[in-house]
Amino acid sequence: MKKLLGFLGLLLVLVIVGCSNDKSTGSKNVAEAENPTKVSGEPVNGGELSIVDLNDAQGLDPHNETNAQSMHYIENMYNTLFKYTEGTYGEIEGDLVEDYKISEDGKVYTLTLHDGVKFHNGDKLTSEDVKYSIERIREMLVRAPQFEAVESIETPDELTVTVKLDKPVAPFLTFLAYPMNAIVNKAIVEENGGSLDTADAGSGPFQLVHWKKDQEMVLQKFEDYFKPGLPYLDKVTWKAIPDETSRTTAIRNNEIDIILQLSPKDTQLLSKADGITVEPVTGTYWEYIGLNVTAGPLKEKGVRQAIAMGIDREAMNATVKFGQATALTGGPIPPGHWAYGELDTYPKQDLKKAKALLKEAGYEDGFDITLKVGQNKAQVDAAQVVKQQLLPLGINVEILQQEDSIFFDALGKKDFEMSIVGWVGFVDPDEFLYNIFHTDEVWNQQAYSNTEVDQLLEKGRVTGDQNERLEIYKEAQSIIVDDAPMVFLYANQQASAVRDGVNGFDVNPTVTTKSLENTWIDR
Amino acid sequence: MFAYIFRRLLIAIPVLFGISIIAFFMVRLVPGDTVTAMLGTNYNEAQAELLRQKYGLDKSVVIQYGLWILSVFKGDLGISSFTNEPVMEIIVGRLPVTLELTIISIVFALIIAIPLGTVAALKRNTPVDYSASFFGMFGISLPNFWLGTLLILLFSLHLSWLPSSGFVPISDGLWMNIQTMLMPGIALGTAVGAVTLRMTRSSMLEVLGEEYMKMAKAKGVNNFRLIWKHGLRNALVPVVTVLGIQAGYLLGGSIIIEQIFSLPGIGQLALQAISNRDYSLLQGSILFIASAFVLINLAVDIIYAIINPKIRYS
Amino acid sequence: MKETWKRFRQNRFAFVGFLFIFLVLVVALFAKWIVPYDPFAMDSTSSLASPNAQHWFGTDQFGRDIFSRILYGAQISLKVGIIAVGFSLFFGTIIGIVAGYFGGKIDQVLSRITDVLFAFPDILLALVIMAILGPSLTNLMIAIGIVYTPIFARIARGAVLNIRDSLYIEAAKSMGVSSFHIMRRHVLPNSIAPLIVQVTLSFAFAILAEAALSFLGLGVSPDTPSWGIMLSEAKDWMEISWWTAIFPGIAITLAVLSFNIMGDGLRDALDPRLKNER
Repeated sequence: MKKLLGFLGLLLVLVIVGCSNDKSTGSKNVAEAENPTKVSGEPVNGGELSIVDLNDAQGLDPHNETNAQSMHYIENMYNTLFKYTEGTYGEIEGDLVEDYKISEDGKVYTLTLHDGVKFHNGDKLTSEDVKYSIERIREMLVRAPQFEAVESIETPDELTVTVKLDKPVAPFLTFLAYPMNAIVNKAIVEENGGSLDTADAGSGPFQLVHWKKDQEMVLQKFEDYFKPGLPYLDKVTWKAIPDETSRTTAIRNNEIDIILQLSPKDTQLLSKADGITVEPVTGTYWEYIGLNVTAGPLKEKGVRQAIAMGIDREAMNATVKFGQATALTGGPIPPGHWAYGELDTYPKQDLKKAKALLKEAGYEDGFDITLKVGQNKAQVDAAQVVKQQLLPLGINVEILQQEDSIFFDALGKKDFEMSIVGWVGFVDPDEFLYNIFHTDEVWNQQAYSNTEVDQLLEKGRVTGDQNERLEIYKEAQSIIVDDAPMVFLYANQQASAVRDGVNGFDVNPTVTTKSLENTWIDR
Repeated sequence: MFAYIFRRLLIAIPVLFGISIIAFFMVRLVPGDTVTAMLGTNYNEAQAELLRQKYGLDKSVVIQYGLWILSVFKGDLGISSFTNEPVMEIIVGRLPVTLELTIISIVFALIIAIPLGTVAALKRNTPVDYSASFFGMFGISLPNFWLGTLLILLFSLHLSWLPSSGFVPISDGLWMNIQTMLMPGIALGTAVGAVTLRMTRSSMLEVLGEEYMKMAKAKGVNNFRLIWKHGLRNALVPVVTVLGIQAGYLLGGSIIIEQIFSLPGIGQLALQAISNRDYSLLQGSILFIASAFVLINLAVDIIYAIINPKIRYS
Repeated sequence: MKETWKRFRQNRFAFVGFLFIFLVLVVALFAKWIVPYDPFAMDSTSSLASPNAQHWFGTDQFGRDIFSRILYGAQISLKVGIIAVGFSLFFGTIIGIVAGYFGGKIDQVLSRITDVLFAFPDILLALVIMAILGPSLTNLMIAIGIVYTPIFARIARGAVLNIRDSLYIEAAKSMGVSSFHIMRRHVLPNSIAPLIVQVTLSFAFAILAEAALSFLGLGVSPDTPSWGIMLSEAKDWMEISWWTAIFPGIAITLAVLSFNIMGDGLRDALDPRLKNER
């Protein structure tokens, strides 16, 4: 099993490298990404690094937060049982876990922890903490579904944890590698009245110095970190700069070392700048037009297909993403991922066909419809393009831009006709598909329901064999694409800007920053 | 005069009270619900009910207002539903940024306005006067957010002289701090400068027309001394009032300017509170900003009464 | 009236402002026929083109013609100005006249409400009202209208107070003329001069406020060719394409400047004794 994973991981790396080569011919301005972790010379100890993201985090409690910014702080303060292997997309290796075994039937996981792992307060990290953390995750509800198959957790000794599942869960290791499923110190949780919103109960490479919301987050090296010699950096300062221009200016004026996430425009802009390297990889964030299938014209499959047919994804990619995204003409899983559906259902805009479909569905003269978007600039931009592109079909789109809190609330309540939003497909195809297409799942905002798809997704969840899973997900995707509850637009590129002299930082498709423990500065 | 001050204070009280009512009920009218916004997609009824109880959202609006206003008297503005911190603490933490921004804007405004306004008045109906007047008009008309972006374009992007955004507290170095506050201060202060310039000019003209100035001039009092001692000092009295009125502009403008320059001030806080539907934070910051405006104007009126002997206390 | 016009003509600044406003008005009215391109039409092949013979002011991210969008933008700005200011003029004047004419308790209550509304910075108040009403052009106009209502109420009240106790009003009252009639026939006309000035200046404010709110993303629908929206979008592009930020900014500044200059000129022309205050 372990070997198989490793092999598949390797395969995946090859595919990704191949893919990024393909892409760089399309946009010459973007630096090559074959070797994202450029290591030149021996690592140097010391130094301070400042890294910038779009927004500040909401809180620091690993088991209760959902926003990506919180994840970046948390993954540096805490450890997880497993982690994503650097430079890859999908491969997983042990973090706190030194060795592990999975039983034949895929139901029993026996995990052996590293010896001598210490929490930031000096306490020893033991199997009890692992048990406590998983139980806490289940109590906190946010990510409880990932662990709902857990039947029992046993701790035969300090370093051994046995997790029993009541049914096999194919992406279970991926769940354990998710940075938010961190192992926390029970004592600290209790000291803080059960909430870790502003506290540090971790064992990670860095420990919390102070967090001034919307100003800065300062982490310092944890001297007793269990990985010998790591981390190299003395201090990491996070800043949130919501304004694009300010971010790019700051890095060019040497005020910061890393911009974690670059917009396509900034990717283009900064790849021309001196002393800065822009490293792009195919990301996991893909965007779509959500079509609420419960009411109005969108109830008709033909109408939904017509919309999918009427969108010119390449033109949209060109103006909204500077051509740096990968258009999704089939299902949501992008080319490069092992579960890619190899579909090409909507290869290019075809107004004639779209019109025919509308006519068939009885909407020959088109209709008026609303399209909701949040504050994400690229999605607001995309909405404008959608409006223009659907005009020739007689579909009059009215764009309603809302504040994020209102917008997501509306999506959750299925209070929309069309929407533009994105989804982070974290690694496993189950995470790409199950939560959004399975009937009545919380994230199934389109209210899509197809028993065939439900059955396939349920089967994919419990199947261990990769090839078998591939077939399952291919089929599921082809049905979904045909039913068109979503119009898939494109998979985004993840790019970071890194100042020269910063080494060992891994630009990861999942935007994880765990590699900061291996990062060093040489100026 | 004390009677006057006392009366002004008495008038301010119902206004402050009215502000609290409007701040509170306006926020209730905002669609969307804190609890849903907080829970996001993890929404479930049981948890929502728990949170409603925690924030007292299950009681009637009038009772909620009553409870709120009582705690406001104790200096407690409630707990932010988004960060779980006391609203008062958040506001106090952000106050220095907005305060500094406002002060720098006013200083910048005065540096421009007073000399230019005085010169314009002295050289009345000359090209100098016209250009000063035009500048005054132009400054009022220039959108501060455009000016802000133009400054970033010039001084940060092309010349790399100043950082384009972010805030460095004074404790981390005065010079660094001023570097980050300079452009926002100018962007916000230009319009104030323009208004003050026009005010300085016209009140200076008025003073110059007064008999005693003409007399002093006839007596051959040194020109510079004359303008400084008699002219400017008298002319500045109405200027103070204008600055009081401009406080409202400054507080409102800081919302936009802080957003552009990513300054963690109260204006940015109010914007965040709006987009997060953070009731207590929003009503707290609205209450704070509006009360600040009223109190500043109260102070200005009192100062005006003190420095201007001509005022009728009626 | 003739006297006023003459004084106004003599003020060269103000007259230029007036002419420019007239030009904006003409552009706004006939935008549909004079734009070289459809301001909504996208062309992914000419994204962010610099100013050239085809596109005088260049194109934006979507390849839309900025010149055409600015001409259309005049429509939005004027529409916002007219409706928002009309709103505040209408309600403000009624409130002010009623307060001033009746005095006493009514005046007390109305004046305090006005004071309270005055205490909110205009942008903040507009922001919250927009959050309540939701983003749309109509709501934006209402929000700006509400924000500027107190100013008109105050001016109208002041003007009424000046003449309330004058002899001819007393006379009219004693003759049993109805309050409504007195207000309409005698009080209102006397408040007109300062109101006209305020209307002009408020236009400038309204245009600025619309731009500011749109800039913050709380204004009109994102594809509306409003100057504020254009500027807000341009902010991200200005480094690689300055024209996207410069031209809409100039348009806003010129329009606002014209209204300000004209308002100033009107004030001097209508009543030379009125102070240069605001």
